[in-house]
Amino acid sequence: MTDADTMRLHPRPAGGEPRPWAFPAPERGGLPNGLTVLRSHRPGQRVIAVELNLTAPLETEPQGQEGVATIMARALNEGTDKHSAEEFAAELERCGATLDAHADHAGLRVSLEVPASRLTKALGLLADALRAPAFAESEIERLVRNRLDEIPHELADPGRRAAMALYAALFPAESRMSRPRSGTAETVGRIDAKAVRAFYDAHIGPAAAPAVVVGDLPGIDLDAALKETLGTWTGSAAEPPVWSPADVNDTPRVIVVDRPGAVQTQLLIGRTGGDRHDPLYPARRLGIYCLGGTITSRLDRVLREEKGYTYGIRAFSQVLRSSADGTGLALLGIRGSVATDVTGPALADLWQVLRTLAAEGLTDEERDAAVQYLVGVAPLSFETAAAVAGTLANQVEEELPDDFQARLYARLAETGTVEASAAVVRALPADGLVTVLVGDAEKIAGPVRDLGIGEVTVVAG
Amino acid sequence: MPMGHTAIPQDTAGALTATEHRLANGLRVVLSEDHLTPVAAVCLWYDVGSRHEVQGRTGLAHLFEHLMFQGSAQVKGNGHFELIQGAGGSLNGTTSFERTNYFETMPAHQLELALWLEADRMGTLLTALDDESMENQRDVVKNERRQRYDNVPYGTAFERLTAMVYPAGHPYHHTPIGSMADLDAASLEDAREFFRTYYAPNNAVLAVVGDIDPEQVLAWADKYFGSIPSHDGKRPPRDGTLPLTIGEELREVIREDVPARALMAAYRLPHDGTREADAADLALTALGGGESSRLHNRLVRRDRTAVSAGFGLLRLAGAPSMGWLDVKTSGDAEVADIERALDEELARFAEEGPTPEEMERAQAQLEREWLDRLATVGGRADELCRYAVLFGDPTLAFTAVRRVLEVTAEEVRAVAAAQLRPDNRAVLVYEPTGPAEGAEETTESTDSETEGADQ
Repeated sequence: MTDADTMRLHPRPAGGEPRPWAFPAPERGGLPNGLTVLRSHRPGQRVIAVELNLTAPLETEPQGQEGVATIMARALNEGTDKHSAEEFAAELERCGATLDAHADHAGLRVSLEVPASRLTKALGLLADALRAPAFAESEIERLVRNRLDEIPHELADPGRRAAMALYAALFPAESRMSRPRSGTAETVGRIDAKAVRAFYDAHIGPAAAPAVVVGDLPGIDLDAALKETLGTWTGSAAEPPVWSPADVNDTPRVIVVDRPGAVQTQLLIGRTGGDRHDPLYPARRLGIYCLGGTITSRLDRVLREEKGYTYGIRAFSQVLRSSADGTGLALLGIRGSVATDVTGPALADLWQVLRTLAAEGLTDEERDAAVQYLVGVAPLSFETAAAVAGTLANQVEEELPDDFQARLYARLAETGTVEASAAVVRALPADGLVTVLVGDAEKIAGPVRDLGIGEVTVVAG
Repeated sequence: MPMGHTAIPQDTAGALTATEHRLANGLRVVLSEDHLTPVAAVCLWYDVGSRHEVQGRTGLAHLFEHLMFQGSAQVKGNGHFELIQGAGGSLNGTTSFERTNYFETMPAHQLELALWLEADRMGTLLTALDDESMENQRDVVKNERRQRYDNVPYGTAFERLTAMVYPAGHPYHHTPIGSMADLDAASLEDAREFFRTYYAPNNAVLAVVGDIDPEQVLAWADKYFGSIPSHDGKRPPRDGTLPLTIGEELREVIREDVPARALMAAYRLPHDGTREADAADLALTALGGGESSRLHNRLVRRDRTAVSAGFGLLRLAGAPSMGWLDVKTSGDAEVADIERALDEELARFAEEGPTPEEMERAQAQLEREWLDRLATVGGRADELCRYAVLFGDPTLAFTAVRRVLEVTAEEVRAVAAAQLRPDNRAVLVYEPTGPAEGAEETTESTDSETEGADQ
């Protein structure tokens, strides 16, 4: 007797009527000091999220001091004209707040999250950090040492190590993108408080720092809170340099970063493509999802669910720079890890998936399922204030219109199977990909050479 | 009650309420309405985790969790994933020491589908379970182990500390991922037996949270789950009773190709669900949670011997909880110097307790953690299940913050004095060799379009 004999089975239920949901339209305003503010009310979200984009892209770092944007970002948390570094951290945590700053190719992002009841207090701390950071010599020295200590950990991490090798392969040596975002041991070692101060003076000011505030807002006098905090920040920032696209070398080739004894091979396979201003972006999003967005996408269906070679392989696109004229750049890629002894067969299967996709395209069923997921999942993805704030801040940073995300769902729904197929094949063509493998070269280089996916070079781990 | 200085607890739980029901077959159903967003979360906790595994079969609970996604009587192959995602939902499953959970967050109008799918596999998994999926998921799980533990610097630290804190033969001695040898040894019959023993409606709690009509959901629960027979063959886990302290300092030195020296340590702490566990949480937060904690200030800011220094807490109900210290050294700093500083700080804390400012900060941080956990319907459903399964009352989830805010500085001091002592810790020291040598598991590695590859 099986359990099925005793359980009453019912036919699969059909869904009910969808309830309306739309990505929130932000309300735009400004403060007298030139700061632009986008706000969005999300009922019930009692942790308020604040995001600021400081338009200081990594390429503005002085040569030889790469990493200074990262050290400056971290130093914003390390004391002001009112509080020492220890006091500042204590005041933030007293609010139950978190304040993070991250320097990237597009610019510097500062994220504050705080329970609504303590928003004004935390905004005051944020304003202090931006208006009057201490940049004390001893704190900068410590942050530099910490950063130097971090580098060996990053080199040891297979995913990070793979990314370093891929960026170095894709971008020419003179491009900032070819080198690690947070600098190398050589450049970080040169950074001192003076360098951090100079970077701050040149690039950080309220006119170049649009802010996004999201959460349950009606109970808060946000105008007053902003006026007495971020509104007191004055100063000017240099115009960021005009972005010019880099020459990219995506000649197919394979770089093996040698890790003797590694039990898995980390894969990172990629090339570059346009930013999200491309009218075909929705098709690319859809196609990349069908290829490697989830466990039932093409790559995992074979490599995981049929062969058991991996815990999961994903395809992705990541915007690196974006500008209103559409000349920006995204990294398009496939990543995951596979057991060492099946690295050759796994890559052979992966390429077979790409070739079959190019030859036959996606099926209508795949396209439909992808649209249903990507459109249907929207209300779930944006439950929290932080998720909404992050997306709004991305739009601002990427110079996309405020209704980009809101309109994306209709555009996805209008995208057909043929367009999605063409977009993903163009994004990740079988004969146009740079492959990085972090693993045991002695065991994997031979089988990979036999695949004909590009010339194989082995570099030290 | 020292609450005046923190946000009022209503700020956390708001007007959240929940009701509990029980079907005739023993399935407990917890419902909580929230109509602010058109989403609904389904969470199903089975009262089985790695502590129920027997010797030679470590990792079976987690491997089995993977098999739950391989189809059932009316669901083919990967149909569970396909149907949920095709309806715009998200899903996963995880296995820990004390439970296995499965969850879906759905657009509200697709809620019924998630209930139908969960019921189908609870009632009929064995009709679909076969050798092919067993062999395939065994390989997937072994790759999960490699990716998350074996191929990562310090990746096996947690496993090693756990094995020291909970002695051989103790149900918590091994972690949910299990050993490669045991994963290899698990048979299809083991998996079947595991299902028959633990996957019964009377060994589970179902929580549904969000934009729901409770009467309708209860009717659906009864329709889909109500005819699954209850089953009383469950074996209780082996006895997890242990003294609250280890009684001596245990120590292991690992020489491996890691990027820097590290000092890790684990302490036995009071059981989850007790006031002492909340006090311990506050002690660990004041000592090692965040950038204003005593250990961060001492080791990272002042002594500058560490890159990072922090405490984590693994709350456990069926055995002493575990506090976990992780310090990565800076430059050439010696572990012995760090240990000396650590002992001084712990001794001083045990003597003096937290300052009022430290209490305020620690409580604000823990309150914030709760706000984050309750901010999504999925987070709320999981907490309701947790309190229902482990402590018998789901609504305890909504008063958890209040309990943390009621703890006094003296209680925090007392728990630190009793537990955070050298004779109650397992120490793990990593010494890098250079190259040439060699808490929770999930079903799917997650998708995120923006999560790309950063150097």
